[in-house]
Amino acid sequence: MNNTLLELKNISYKYENNLILNKVNLKINSGEKIALLGKSGSGKTTLISVINGTIKPTKGEVKLFKKSFDELDRKQKRNITTIWQDLRLIEDLSAEQNVNCGLLAEKNLYFAFKNLLNISSFKKAHKYMQLCKLHHSIYAKKISKLSGGQKQRVAIARSLIQGSNILIADEPFNNLDPKLITTIKNLLLENIDKNNIKSPKTTLVALHRLDLLKDFDKVIGIKEGKIFFNIERSNLKKFHLDKIY
Amino acid sequence: MNKLKLNYSSISFLPILVCIPLGYQLITNLHFGGLNLFQEFLISAFNPKINNEIIITVINRLNETILIGFFSWLVSIIFGAIFGILSSNIFYKVFNIPNIVSSIIKFFLTIIRSIHEVVWGIVLMQIYGINSSIGIISICIPYIAVNSKVFAEQLETINYKTFESINQINAPKFSSLLTLIWNPIINTFKNFGLYRLECSIRSTVILGLFGIGGIGTSIFLSFQTLNFRELWTYLWSLTILIILSELIFKKIKFNNTNKILSIFFIAVFFATILLSISYFLYFVFNNNYENFNSFRSLFKSSSYLGLLDFLKLIFETIILSLLSTGIAISLPPLLILIFNSNTSKILIKIFAFLLRLIPTPLILLTLLTFNNPSLSLAALTLGLHNAGITCKLLFTNLDRQDKRNYIAMRSLGISKKTSWLLGLFSQQAKSYLAYCAYRSDIIIRETAIVGVIGSVGLGWQLQESLSSFALREITIVLMAYSSIAIVGELINGKIKNSLT
Repeated sequence: MNNTLLELKNISYKYENNLILNKVNLKINSGEKIALLGKSGSGKTTLISVINGTIKPTKGEVKLFKKSFDELDRKQKRNITTIWQDLRLIEDLSAEQNVNCGLLAEKNLYFAFKNLLNISSFKKAHKYMQLCKLHHSIYAKKISKLSGGQKQRVAIARSLIQGSNILIADEPFNNLDPKLITTIKNLLLENIDKNNIKSPKTTLVALHRLDLLKDFDKVIGIKEGKIFFNIERSNLKKFHLDKIY
Repeated sequence: MNKLKLNYSSISFLPILVCIPLGYQLITNLHFGGLNLFQEFLISAFNPKINNEIIITVINRLNETILIGFFSWLVSIIFGAIFGILSSNIFYKVFNIPNIVSSIIKFFLTIIRSIHEVVWGIVLMQIYGINSSIGIISICIPYIAVNSKVFAEQLETINYKTFESINQINAPKFSSLLTLIWNPIINTFKNFGLYRLECSIRSTVILGLFGIGGIGTSIFLSFQTLNFRELWTYLWSLTILIILSELIFKKIKFNNTNKILSIFFIAVFFATILLSISYFLYFVFNNNYENFNSFRSLFKSSSYLGLLDFLKLIFETIILSLLSTGIAISLPPLLILIFNSNTSKILIKIFAFLLRLIPTPLILLTLLTFNNPSLSLAALTLGLHNAGITCKLLFTNLDRQDKRNYIAMRSLGISKKTSWLLGLFSQQAKSYLAYCAYRSDIIIRETAIVGVIGSVGLGWQLQESLSSFALREITIVLMAYSSIAIVGELINGKIKNSLT
């Protein structure tokens, strides 16, 4: 059965005369857990931005649910969520307000208003923040007052609360200690769907730590904007890694 | 020979050279016909008229001034925020609308902003007659445009990556926009709102001098009748109002985490929009346009203003702006440098406060008691008034500044003046010049006020054309004014960008 969720056909992306992505072809099927490996500057973040529709490729076609981004309605677009490497939280808002921002897609303008006025319900946000092991004492604190690891988990909670099926994460384990890495990894990769908490079924995670690979089904290696390998995790050998590092 | 190298500190002092031609013309224009009047004016400051009747008048006039100022401020800050959003790039990014719409809105706002509230007031008074709502409308028109620029500039500081991340959530567009702009808008209200209220009250006083009402009208009438004791009663009451408002503004701290206060502000926000629009419609449909119709027929009137005369007026206005800007930039640091003792600094602060307090037309009328009307006199007036404002800013920034360099220099035995110049002022000079670049925008617009009274430049021509109902001339003068102000704003914007 063909259950392709996302397809990249011959994608190239040029920025200021530099070819950042070079004829990338990629298929992501429903339920897959994919690790994206590559050196810094290899094009991982650009690839993620192309996949989630933030940047338009110079050449090629991106298809989500067999449709191009322009053909998707807002509800379909909501099925994809991103944890950015630089987090992109709103510094002047509190941690719980930032997590609530993840709910903006399913709520109306009145909710956005209440969230900014700090009078909306934070029940759901708190649930996800608890899952990310955020202590309740920081819920009402402004983002600018939080540590790197706390900010990282607020960004993860904001992403998870969206309830999207596809998660794209750019180095989500940065700033986390080993214990928290395990918790967050389980949260991102285990298919949780209980107590009003739903984790994404399909994930693409860009990372550097090779010891975390064992929980993924597939591994993609990228170097200088080109995909060097796209294989089952069990088939990954040292020479594959030597090619990209 | 070593090459002359200019740094920010020296650039701050150089414009004082404008005082050479200016001083020359002022000395040649000196007369002693009004010296007695000037003496009387000064003496009356220490002997203002105080009786029941005048106290009641002062209270009523101040009430009127505060009300006009407050409502102008409220409407202009709220609509300024709305137009700021509509002219900011973020609005167009969220809604995926071509940026050309933003450019068109910005262009119109720039034109509206380029004409001073006094000019709007004089023109609107000719059409609709004198009433308080004309005062509010005259202030609101340019103030909305000025405030919108400030809000738009703040909204441009929104990080593009934050926009991407909110946009990527795929929320309804208005929710995304609101979430993105909320904090920059609130912060602008906090940092800028009360300052604009002060500006609004000052503008009400100035418009009052032209007959729109409030304490300004009383000041002008007592000046016209040479009733200086009464004049000083009004001026001192205005002083008390400004000092009190400055004290209150310092105490006010907006806390946007207070839910009840936030809801109250939002209620005021929407109520103001509704009432303003309703009032505007009422005003438009219930006004007698007889004056306007007679005005329209004068469109056909031929202009007696020759091209050379017109170019001369434009040239005069530009020179007036440059000379005034020179004084406003250099006078405060120069005075502080020369008179560096603590007592002198207090005296400079009082002098600067008086220059800010006394409306420009009144300073000019006072100076006219011993000097003939000239471009130099108008420039001196405008320069002095604005020097009062730049002086306040300089003192505020110097007070906040880290003084370790100054202390270190003093401990090395370096003189107080040199230590102040190199250890304190040199660190402030760049940001001071950036503020002066912004201030010169305002000076260009204010040339209209001194022009009207001091018979100089386009301001004078505007007054003349309005008196003779020569609408074609009025249109030409306003267009010229607008063009000068827009070009000035562009140049000053470049200077400001290079300094910040």
